[in-house]
Amino acid sequence: MSDRKLPRLLQTPAVLLLLVWMLVPLGMTLYFSFIRYVLNNLRKPEWTTPNISNWRGFGNYEFVLNSKSFILAIQNSLLIVCSILFLTVILGIMIAVLINKTFPGQGIVRVLLISPFFVMPAVNAVLWINMILDPVLGLQGIAVSGINETLISLRSMPVLGGFFSLWPQFEPISFRATQTSAIAVIMMVTWQWTPFAVLILMTSLQSEDQQQKEAAILDGASAWSQFRFLTLPHLGRPIAIVVMIQAIFHLSLYAEIEIVSRGNGNKNLPYLIGEFANNNIGAASATGIFAVILANIVAIFLLRMIGRTLME
Amino acid sequence: MAIVAQSSKFSTFGRPVLAWAVGLLFFFPIFWLFLTSFKTDADAVKPEYLLFFTPTLENYLNMTQNYDYWRFATNSVVTSVFATVFTLVVGIPAAYAMAFNPSRGTKDILMWMLSTKMLPAAAVLYPMTFLTKGLGLFDTHFLIILVLSLINLPIVVWMLFTYFKEIPKDIIEAGKMDGVNTWGEIKEILIPLAWGGIASTALLCFIFCWNEAYWTVRLTTTDAATLSKLIEGNRAPEGLFFGRLSAVSTAAIGPIVVLGWFCQKQLVQGLTFGAVK
Repeated sequence: MSDRKLPRLLQTPAVLLLLVWMLVPLGMTLYFSFIRYVLNNLRKPEWTTPNISNWRGFGNYEFVLNSKSFILAIQNSLLIVCSILFLTVILGIMIAVLINKTFPGQGIVRVLLISPFFVMPAVNAVLWINMILDPVLGLQGIAVSGINETLISLRSMPVLGGFFSLWPQFEPISFRATQTSAIAVIMMVTWQWTPFAVLILMTSLQSEDQQQKEAAILDGASAWSQFRFLTLPHLGRPIAIVVMIQAIFHLSLYAEIEIVSRGNGNKNLPYLIGEFANNNIGAASATGIFAVILANIVAIFLLRMIGRTLME
Repeated sequence: MAIVAQSSKFSTFGRPVLAWAVGLLFFFPIFWLFLTSFKTDADAVKPEYLLFFTPTLENYLNMTQNYDYWRFATNSVVTSVFATVFTLVVGIPAAYAMAFNPSRGTKDILMWMLSTKMLPAAAVLYPMTFLTKGLGLFDTHFLIILVLSLINLPIVVWMLFTYFKEIPKDIIEAGKMDGVNTWGEIKEILIPLAWGGIASTALLCFIFCWNEAYWTVRLTTTDAATLSKLIEGNRAPEGLFFGRLSAVSTAAIGPIVVLGWFCQKQLVQGLTFGAVK
């Protein structure tokens, strides 16, 4: 038995490191969430250092729950995550089925498709919000003004001109505005993560039972019913994994939101925590605990699912 | 026969065309960034130079002057390389222990490791700032290396575990018979056998370190700031500097996108924790 002891001990450094990494900051967050702790307060200087005598009970939690920005941040987190999930899964299935069969240049198309996934989030956001979506200087602005100019020149046509003058001019959309910044974030993250969905779903499609498929074809099943009754059930688990992993990544989305609008109009939970942390640490910590709870709800499902397939 | 029956007009003509269109569409933003990086700042915002312009290397040549690119790039390389090495040094023995000497608790330990990955970083933002400033670690390479290692350790252990599981136990046992000790087993038998798996795990870990954009932004100011911080700091160029911004962005993502092409397959294994094969 003793020659098994050392090998088992080899996992302790990893376990200890992660344990400290998880427990120490989380413990502090929990502590801060129950005390009054602000970084700048001239009238109550005793609040500016963490101390147990500043105990506030659930006061920070109440404050956070009652603040309008918290509700908005939850709504935004969910809106952003759900929209991205919906789009990436639908696009992912469609593209995976499309490129799963051999065709000339399949390898190159795969490489082109996967590339966005490796772009660093900061560059992704800077590229999209400036060079593509900017209402004046980006491709969007250039395209809209091009269409408008064409429209104006069409109006001066002899006969059809009257018809074109009924058309309205197009207005470019500013994606840094309150109402639209979430859309920009959804667009850029969908661009980045659809390749991930494609890759996972394609890997799974390759292990699909081909004999079953051929039997279905011989029985005269249509392409749609093959997809609906054979492929889609086969993709069930990979889709669930794509959903869960993305949910965890996107619940903590930060760089894109910061770059697009500095949170204007679409703060999610991590962003709100960052804002609170500029002064009100108690509130930031309470919000953090809510974020942990939200992430845990998602994580439990994922861990259950992976746990089943782990030790086989 | 079935294959013949299947090959409709769509398969022979429509599928390749559509697939290529989708591939090019997804690649287009990267291509656009690359193209813009060869335009002067003035040309980059003029519609008449959209596709046809006189290419210039000036943006790349002035990258040091405009953005201090190399300082940030060096920080990115140093932190990512050391974090990857450190993660492997801690991760290989752990994965070895779990794959070849599993106990009843192994499964739970693996699950728990994964669950630390799901802890939202923002929740511990202030304690981390507070602690690292208190310990004098804020904005140091050491801190960034440590944090990058810790956030990637669960994925690395998982990937290595799934690779090591494929190695027949007999080979390791045979080593034991020959009187090789544990270190010898890892060094002489395991690492050479699992070399491919270890390399691709390292590559993926390096990519994640390089692209990390929360801690590297929030826990640095200047000394240990990485490329993520550089790009984030230049988020709104007021439209005047599209050319130079494209060049520095291209330089920030280029190496990683190319590396990424080589480890697409490992990505599936790594990010699904071996649940999709």
